[in-house]
Amino acid sequence: MSFVRIEHLNKAYPGVQALDDVSFEIQRGQVHALVGENGAGKSTLIKILAAATRPDSGQIWLDGQPYAPQTPKDALQAGVATIFQIFNLLPDRSIAHNILLGREIRTRLGLLDLAAMDEAAAHILRQLNAAHLSPRQAVGTLKVGEKQIVEIGKALINQSRLLIMDEPTSALNQVETDALFGVIRLLREQGVTILYVSHRLDEIFELADTVTVMRDGAHISTRPIAEVTRDSLIEDMIGRKLSSIFPARRPATRDVIMEVDGLSAERALYDVSFKLYRGEVLAVAGLSGSGKTELGKALFGDLRASRGTITVKGERYKPAPWNAIRRRLIYLPEDRKAEGVIQELPVRRNIGLSVLPALTNRFGFLDLERERELAWQQVRALDIKTPTLDQLVLNLSGGNQQKVALAKCLTVDPDILVLVEPTQGIDVGVKFEIYQFIADQVAGGRAVLLISSEIPEILGLSHRVLVMRDGRIVAELDTASATQEDILRFAVGEHKSSPEFVAQEGAQHG
Amino acid sequence: MTTTTKTAPDSAARQDWQRKVVSFLGEQGFIVIFILWAFYLTVSTDNFATTDNFFTILRQATIVGIAAIGAHFVILMGDLDLSAAAVLSLAGVVMAELMVKHGVAPLIAALAALGVGAAVGLVNGVIVTKLRINAIIATLGTSSILGGIAFTITKGKTIFGERGNDPIDSIEFLSRQRVLGDTLPVPVIILFVCYIIAFIVLRRTAYGARVFAVGNNDRAAWLSGINVDRIKITTFMLSGTLAGFAGIMQVARQGTATAGMGADFLFPILTAVVLGGASLTGGRGKIFNTLIAAIFLTSITNGMILLGIGIYTQNIVSGVILVVALSLDRLRTLQP
Repeated sequence: MSFVRIEHLNKAYPGVQALDDVSFEIQRGQVHALVGENGAGKSTLIKILAAATRPDSGQIWLDGQPYAPQTPKDALQAGVATIFQIFNLLPDRSIAHNILLGREIRTRLGLLDLAAMDEAAAHILRQLNAAHLSPRQAVGTLKVGEKQIVEIGKALINQSRLLIMDEPTSALNQVETDALFGVIRLLREQGVTILYVSHRLDEIFELADTVTVMRDGAHISTRPIAEVTRDSLIEDMIGRKLSSIFPARRPATRDVIMEVDGLSAERALYDVSFKLYRGEVLAVAGLSGSGKTELGKALFGDLRASRGTITVKGERYKPAPWNAIRRRLIYLPEDRKAEGVIQELPVRRNIGLSVLPALTNRFGFLDLERERELAWQQVRALDIKTPTLDQLVLNLSGGNQQKVALAKCLTVDPDILVLVEPTQGIDVGVKFEIYQFIADQVAGGRAVLLISSEIPEILGLSHRVLVMRDGRIVAELDTASATQEDILRFAVGEHKSSPEFVAQEGAQHG
Repeated sequence: MTTTTKTAPDSAARQDWQRKVVSFLGEQGFIVIFILWAFYLTVSTDNFATTDNFFTILRQATIVGIAAIGAHFVILMGDLDLSAAAVLSLAGVVMAELMVKHGVAPLIAALAALGVGAAVGLVNGVIVTKLRINAIIATLGTSSILGGIAFTITKGKTIFGERGNDPIDSIEFLSRQRVLGDTLPVPVIILFVCYIIAFIVLRRTAYGARVFAVGNNDRAAWLSGINVDRIKITTFMLSGTLAGFAGIMQVARQGTATAGMGADFLFPILTAVVLGGASLTGGRGKIFNTLIAAIFLTSITNGMILLGIGIYTQNIVSGVILVVALSLDRLRTLQP
């Protein structure tokens, strides 16, 4: 018999059916992955399980008993613990106090038995392979991964039988992630059932026994991990055949829109030369430190070039952001949240920021009507989800912030788009939108310089690939005949290309 | 993924309410204190709540108020201009020197004084942007230089004209003239016009939009094609020019100029901006709150004189107010 049985769960929010007749089962003692794009309903489902919200209809069975918690405390008492992305810890209290919150051990006089609490916490920490942490340490001083351990510790002390983890690795580095996976496997051995919500497919294949896919509030599939492939998972998530992920490519023209000759920058770029054609997606590949991001910066004027010339549409161009924008060359920075938008300013001001002169009337005043109009156009075109144009960008979701950054670039009506890692940190479905966007851009005669670490994306989108290493272009490949191995071989350098390294690099992509 | 809060509705409502109070106190708290202070003075003195005293306060607020506009702009970019007082002195000295000793026409002398302010602003801006020196240090340095120049010009003496034939008398109207049936003082009109222009510049021009952008995130502003250095230099020049204008107004008011005439203004200028709620880290501030704060500060001095409190106590009170203003700023940034 299954440990958790979810039957016909429905939940509607104004304007959206967050859960649409969802039914599936979770087996005891498994790591059960729950995947789906933003808006698939994962959050709503775990909120219901954690009693943070209630379903409109439907039923949940936990270990054969009906499970309908009214408060988070009910959920905890039933053995269901949830670790949200935002931790629920007291930063100024010790690890022991946090783990034993609400279950403090007292002496016969009713005072806290600190020694016993430390011992209990230490016992839990040992169980979680975290004996190096002192129960006395204040939680606020811990790293993210360690705080997560404390959260798991809280779940253990409550003898939780179902542990729900929401995107637990989103703020962890590789070492912390590995440590967390160790803990999750340990818990599974101890019989704890884990519902693991993530959109990182690599992790799911590493950890999960079973995987459930949701899309648009509906349950799509629940299958043992052995029966699914990466491709089938993505197809389930986006509801579309993978072969159609990359839009069809039209041939580029032979009309040069930008020519770079001998571009060099102090300790970053050496004698970089290439031509970019109208209608072309020219990809720049390379490992980190290869100079590919520096190339983008140098073209936009964000990194001072020491030598070399750039010609845009037949005219010499001196790189500086305002010169670039005047010549309709735009640059989408890698860190959109920090550099692509200004969080504390409203959406409309962010979108119009690059074209303020065009929004100024002949008396020198900003035409706020025109600003709104321009912003509305972009909000509609890119489907930016914002209640009003006056909303501060910091109140938007990450994906919509990315779109605002892109919208700002598009107001310039660009001819050349320098895009740095345009799909980084983006859901699979939105990735498709971005791919389609890039294809649309070049179809209209624009040109895209795609600086990317995602080799499948490069192969799927570009016409040509420049491979960089140590600040130099080491190869120019025709995408039609290039393979992932070709790109990696040049990116790594022949002499260093041990098979494991290539395999490892390859595994990161896709 | 949307994030989840585990707070129950009632405690969420309470938090919301608390946040509103904190945010109100953070942004408008000094206005509450202002009202209480005005109420207290109205009750305990005979002369506070009179039209005459009202205009006296506004007139006295003019010099601090005008210079505070420049300081406000600079703080919006996340910098501080400590040279305002020194610019005020030097501009005043240059103005008086040209008129009294060289017989230069008032308009030309005034332009020269404004030019001094703009030039100092240019130097400040270039030091801050091109040499990448912290604005506090840079403007502290130029202050010292300007003070030296002002003393070299005056040789430590007070500049004034002969009685009965004083060229400075010709600009006295800037301080003493009243219009509209002899009620509204000219300096008060100048003060309000300056603030209205400043408001329009900040909220309705590309330059104003850029100042806010640079103050909030200079990196993103730069990548949006904004010439950050140029905006900063322009703003320091504006700040210098306004300090120069305040210098002219001060010469008109006291009829003389000394190398140290601006020294007492630095503190109220900066206090007005901070008390008005402009964030020291840049990007946030309301210009009219700076005006109200400048008037409030003047009313404190005014009120303490009416109450018969000595000058040293006034200094203590001013200091306390600055610290309170800074705490309110912290309160805003600490709020959840």
